[in-house]
Amino acid sequence: MSPLDSISEKLGITEPWVEKGGVHWLTPGAKSVREVAQAMNEFHARFITITAYQLPGDQGFRLEYHWDLNGQLLGFSFQLAGNSIESIYDLCEATDWIEREIHEGFVIDFVGREYEPLLLRQGDTPGVNLREEKK
Amino acid sequence: MSYKIPMGPYHPGLEEPYKLDMICEGETVQDAKLRIGFNFRGIEHLAETRNYIQVIALMERVCGICSNIHTLTLCQAMEGLTGLTPPPRAKYIRVIMAELERLHSHVLWAGIAAKLMGFKTMFMTCFELREKVMDVLQAISGNRVNYSMNRIGGVNRDITDPPAILALVEALEAEMARTVIPIFTTSSTARSRCAGIGVLTMERAISCGVVGPVARASGLPQDIRRAAPYAAYEEMEFDVPVQPDGDLRARLLVRALEIMESCKILRQALAKLPPGEIHMEGEKFPFITGTATSRVEAPRGEVMYSVSWKEGSRNPARVHVRTPTFAVMPAIRWMVQGARLADTPLIQASIDPCYSCTDR
Repeated sequence: MSPLDSISEKLGITEPWVEKGGVHWLTPGAKSVREVAQAMNEFHARFITITAYQLPGDQGFRLEYHWDLNGQLLGFSFQLAGNSIESIYDLCEATDWIEREIHEGFVIDFVGREYEPLLLRQGDTPGVNLREEKK
Repeated sequence: MSYKIPMGPYHPGLEEPYKLDMICEGETVQDAKLRIGFNFRGIEHLAETRNYIQVIALMERVCGICSNIHTLTLCQAMEGLTGLTPPPRAKYIRVIMAELERLHSHVLWAGIAAKLMGFKTMFMTCFELREKVMDVLQAISGNRVNYSMNRIGGVNRDITDPPAILALVEALEAEMARTVIPIFTTSSTARSRCAGIGVLTMERAISCGVVGPVARASGLPQDIRRAAPYAAYEEMEFDVPVQPDGDLRARLLVRALEIMESCKILRQALAKLPPGEIHMEGEKFPFITGTATSRVEAPRGEVMYSVSWKEGSRNPARVHVRTPTFAVMPAIRWMVQGARLADTPLIQASIDPCYSCTDR
């Protein structure tokens, strides 16, 4: 069994991995980001980054989490109906700055963690950097 | 009694602006907090307002040292969205530029590290060598900082006389083997200022997700050129230097050995440079709707670009950049814990931080 199939089995996801745009994507379905992060830790995958996308209208946000497993780039996409998602900082220390940056740039709340003062533009308002204001 | 020492954002011991608030007991650092963002430029947002030609010039300005790497990573991601594959010659030229940039970056870093060690002669030697590397880059691209070499589907300029460039590279290699490498690997000054200082254990390096020479100096053999080869790296033979100790000396050794490996790659690439075109024809590109991701091993470690596009649009919908310093910098907190206050400038410099990249 390949490492990717082992990850699917661990997460209990039957959907296949899809390679697209240089990334192996697995649709997390009902699995939470914390369950995915725990599985990544078990497989000794290296966290790389989270990319935030603001979706049109009132569709909210999409967060793409990336890990590296032996040179393979893995991706898990989570759609946020609102403005919050569980933090994985306690499971993965490497997410600290990127969670803070996304919080400051897009006003997305990573639930379950505390924020230190703004990483970017201290004293400024969260959301001023990247989030588009809805009219 | 503990007290707080702020270092930065503007401080003689820092190359660029960031702030390190250190909690000290006597001369010993107990803990530290980092602050960045003093030169935040909003480049990711700005990229959404630039077309597929302009965005390359914009992203070249993310970093003043590894400018070429940023355009390479961006172009590779955009090639993923257009289905274009650069010709073999272009891939080799990309490798040559990337390795020259690594030489430039490592020699510049070595100079700054030497200055912070109080080793001024070495600083001057390194900066003289850096000028010679920049001469080679200028001979190829016509530029010394922002080379404008990469484009979608290839490169903008050819290497018309590879033997002449090879001669310059061999002269550089001989000079580095004569001066920088032996001094940094054997001198008592470098050893006394670096051995056992600013340690990042392998466990902490994994936990922090550090990349590049810092990871390799903590015993992690990760290198995107080897793990997920791009451009023409699959055809190059090279070693990935790894040191187990995780201290300043290990970071010094890793970079010194990487200088020699870069020279080895350059010799191979220049000797085997295949004939043919240097870019795909055409000025308009058929972007598809979607997101493409590209990773490259920059001098400081892995750079990752995620580029999102909507079909028919001239501008990207989103460009996200994960720079190596952004991944490595939080680990400074663990490196300075227990260190002497006087060693902290050198410890923070040992990650070869780029605030320009971090404050993209």
